[in-house]
Amino acid sequence: MEELMRVEGLKMYFGGLKAIDGFDLVINKGETLGIIGPNGAGKTTLFNAICGVYKPTDGKVILEGKEVQGTPAFEMAKLGIARTFQISKPLRGLTIFDNIVAAAGVQEYTGIGSYFHKSHTKEVEDKVEAIIHETGLSEVANKKASDVSLGYLRRLEIARVLVTDPKLIMLDEPCAGLSNFAINEITELIFKLKEQNRSIVLIEHNLPLTMRVCDRITVLSYGKKICEGTPEYVKNDEQVIEAYLGKEDED
Amino acid sequence: MNSSYLFSILATASIFTLLALSLNIITGYAGQAMMGIAAFFGIGAYTAAIITTHDGNFLLALLAAMIVSGVFGAVLGVISLRLQADFLAITTIGINFVMAAVFNSLKITGGTLGLTTSKPVIFGLKMNNMYFFIFTTILIVIVCLLITKMRHSWFGMALASIENDPGAARSFGINVSKYQILAFIIGTALAGLTGGIYSHRMGFISSTDFAFVVSIQIVSMCVIGGLGTLRGPIFGAVVLTVLPEVLRFADNYRELVYALLLVIMVRFMPEGLLGDDSPVWKFLVGLFRKIKPRKKTRADLIAEKAKAGEYELSGEGGQA
Repeated sequence: MEELMRVEGLKMYFGGLKAIDGFDLVINKGETLGIIGPNGAGKTTLFNAICGVYKPTDGKVILEGKEVQGTPAFEMAKLGIARTFQISKPLRGLTIFDNIVAAAGVQEYTGIGSYFHKSHTKEVEDKVEAIIHETGLSEVANKKASDVSLGYLRRLEIARVLVTDPKLIMLDEPCAGLSNFAINEITELIFKLKEQNRSIVLIEHNLPLTMRVCDRITVLSYGKKICEGTPEYVKNDEQVIEAYLGKEDED
Repeated sequence: MNSSYLFSILATASIFTLLALSLNIITGYAGQAMMGIAAFFGIGAYTAAIITTHDGNFLLALLAAMIVSGVFGAVLGVISLRLQADFLAITTIGINFVMAAVFNSLKITGGTLGLTTSKPVIFGLKMNNMYFFIFTTILIVIVCLLITKMRHSWFGMALASIENDPGAARSFGINVSKYQILAFIIGTALAGLTGGIYSHRMGFISSTDFAFVVSIQIVSMCVIGGLGTLRGPIFGAVVLTVLPEVLRFADNYRELVYALLLVIMVRFMPEGLLGDDSPVWKFLVGLFRKIKPRKKTRADLIAEKAKAGEYELSGEGGQA
């Protein structure tokens, strides 16, 4: 398999708190990689350090052979690393359609020059319409983001990621707070993305879902990788069971 | 009412409209809490006045007012835009007080005595209130056209994204601070230009013309009309300029009226009288739509087709 991204010895310290402490990861093209771990393990921090929301304390992030660690988040997006947020960040005052148009402009936001380029061209609108169908947002296309339910907002996050033609899709708990019904819909959507051979990193607390969709899983605990492998392998690893359930008392 | 009085009010209203539009770029479109617009209004006013009293051309003086104010805006923007909402508001209030004190003490700005300007001549016309009104109105139309173009560009999309959620904006490639600073520069430059017009229309300026109270008046205009729209600041500026003239007898209470209106609006109708979500505006639009239905957007068409079952959906959808 061809390597897309490599993370080497990544460290993210906040003062004395070692949120991520020497983390290595390889993401291959076309694979779905899951990152799981107990609450507070550092999963979202890891995302933020990779995506440029935080500047890593140390370590490398290598995208297709180029070092990109410490690049600001907006430039990471232009490089093709697209992420969703655990807590949805819709543009509440805009329609669902315009939310996706906004993301479609990823390569257009050049500063003053962007004044001279129209945003809603036919080309952009066609692309947005296709993504809207793909993510099942057609019914609410003309609704303001403030007026739709969380299930739609989750899909909006994924739609905004897709419209940027990303090299790597990073999903931060796309199912958090959803009903079983809505979770199934998101799962279906992730399977659809898998079929398109996209490279995906998924953080998810819903273990059955993660086991089902991921090719490989990395387990994070207290900022360190404690296990990595196929879902089957990870499921039976003692350290993983310990991290989730605690150790049995010796006495 | 004689016509010179009418044009005097109209000239004032048009100048404050332009100023309200400049604040609207920073606060309405880019979502930056700017509470010191009068400082930049003042920088432009003094710059232009100083140039014309040294026999400079009025139009060139206006250009210089724009540039100087914009440069100040750029410098202060770079420093203060690292701050978020409330802190930015407090910082810009501070900038306003500092600038008012500077105007009041520098020799070049005439200190407490202020500066006297002569009535400029454009294309052989000696500018009176009527010409000032026409001149400013032409500028307002140009600014409105430019802003409308902005709203349909990626620049406008970037500002709208930042105004809604800077974190999301970054996630799809928007350099948030760069755009915030650009909006800050454009807004302060326009405020400077307006200041240049103001100082020549008044014939005399002093630091009290650019006190913090003036900033609050401009904020009130935008908030009462509706931030982030074109019609809102224009409406607010016209109403708040005309109202005190009508209520001449209550002149001493003018600031009280502004403050009360502001508090009432923020509490009960934060979107402004003519904001997109305001009941008043929705009612007016509703009336208008009976005559001329809205042109359907692409998004409307998609939603309509979906509801008619023309697309295969992935599910019933959206139940959290």
